[in-house]
Amino acid sequence: MTDAGHRIRLVTGDAGKAFTDGDPLVHLDALRRVALRLTRRPGDAEDLVQETYLRAYRGADRFLPGTSLRAWLCRVMRNAFLDGRRREGRNPVDAVADLEEVAAAEHGGGLLRGDAELDLLRRVVASEIEGALRSLPEDARMVVLLDVEGFAEAEIAVALDCAPGTVKSRLHRARLALRRRLADYRR
Amino acid sequence: MDCTGARERLRERVRGGLDPETTAGVDAHLAGCADCRHEAEAERLLDAALRGHLAEERAPDSLRRRVAAVVRADGAPVGPGRPERRPAWAMAAAALVLALLGFLGGRAAERRSAAEALADELVSDHLRVLASAHPLDVESTDSHQVKPWFEGRLDFAPVVPGDRGELRLAGGSVGYVMDRKAAVLAYALRSHRLTLLAFPRDGTPGLSAQPGAAPSRRARRGFEVVTWSAGDVAYALVGDVSGAELERIAVDLAAQTRR
Repeated sequence: MTDAGHRIRLVTGDAGKAFTDGDPLVHLDALRRVALRLTRRPGDAEDLVQETYLRAYRGADRFLPGTSLRAWLCRVMRNAFLDGRRREGRNPVDAVADLEEVAAAEHGGGLLRGDAELDLLRRVVASEIEGALRSLPEDARMVVLLDVEGFAEAEIAVALDCAPGTVKSRLHRARLALRRRLADYRR
Repeated sequence: MDCTGARERLRERVRGGLDPETTAGVDAHLAGCADCRHEAEAERLLDAALRGHLAEERAPDSLRRRVAAVVRADGAPVGPGRPERRPAWAMAAAALVLALLGFLGGRAAERRSAAEALADELVSDHLRVLASAHPLDVESTDSHQVKPWFEGRLDFAPVVPGDRGELRLAGGSVGYVMDRKAAVLAYALRSHRLTLLAFPRDGTPGLSAQPGAAPSRRARRGFEVVTWSAGDVAYALVGDVSGAELERIAVDLAAQTRR
């Protein structure tokens, strides 16, 4: 194969290949989508994404070839985000407090009954989705977002640095909390 | 299957990720359970709402450039031990050395290093088009639709060459060359993808001194780059076809842009 052929394959990455040895930049859009919901401000999100790539390239030797590159990049991003919060003197994400917060969100209001909820979900608008996501603790937000991005449970576990067995229940609780928050907008 | 079993698998069922047997089991339960049907529909709608809201959101080009610059400046690629990536980095390092020599060693070397840096940037712009899932803002094979799309988006008016021989226009978008807004035009040539970039000539280092000069060709990182100018606008054609073929196409395009 010519040098040029190699280069294109590596940069565009074919399915499956991109995880293990593709160009990390192909995940930029997804990382920025998640970063925007973590930081809430576009400028902060861009700084976070840049910091993530900087750390990823500097710590490239810690990436295990053959594992999911995007999951690892998200883990690097979560750590960068938490470090930023510590620098600002805010608490790092606390898993126990998070669960309590999710539980509070779950009890913040019930789901709408029957067709009312389905109608709501059909007509939900962007600002409501953003608002509902914001009401979730960061890790719950990340579980929901990474799931929508198509991450497998094992990848989410890597990204969140948690036990794979807990991802399914975290996701379930977070999505339920999200639906309750969305219902709150229509009360 | 009972409610607990069905609910655990609802999300995967909605996404079609279950094997046929389990799918049939979940469906059989849903047929007889209105509560679980509601849950399945709510999950599906929540997925649709989240995806519709998030899926196509792209990072701005300015961020893409920032990150690419950081990555270029900062070292080794992810996934050590893959020799095919090394030449690119080695050449980037060489370009850096060249740039330094150019700075120290007189005007000729300086111009050369500027041309190298420009070629590097042009190849990166081409790679960005190749690597992006949605590289084009206007997808059209008709140059009469693509050209007006740039109006108001650029402070110069590029010529947009249409189909010519085996060359097929795919569409365009706005990008950057050396931090200045540029027209990015995507073409297909058989199985190859070519990118034509148009950007302001004045103030862009690394271009040939004479505006009417013949297109000048250079190989960078496995790609061929041909640049020329037409009036105030500079053009660059980038692709992985042979240098001779790319130059032949560029001469033809240059004639169109200079008409």
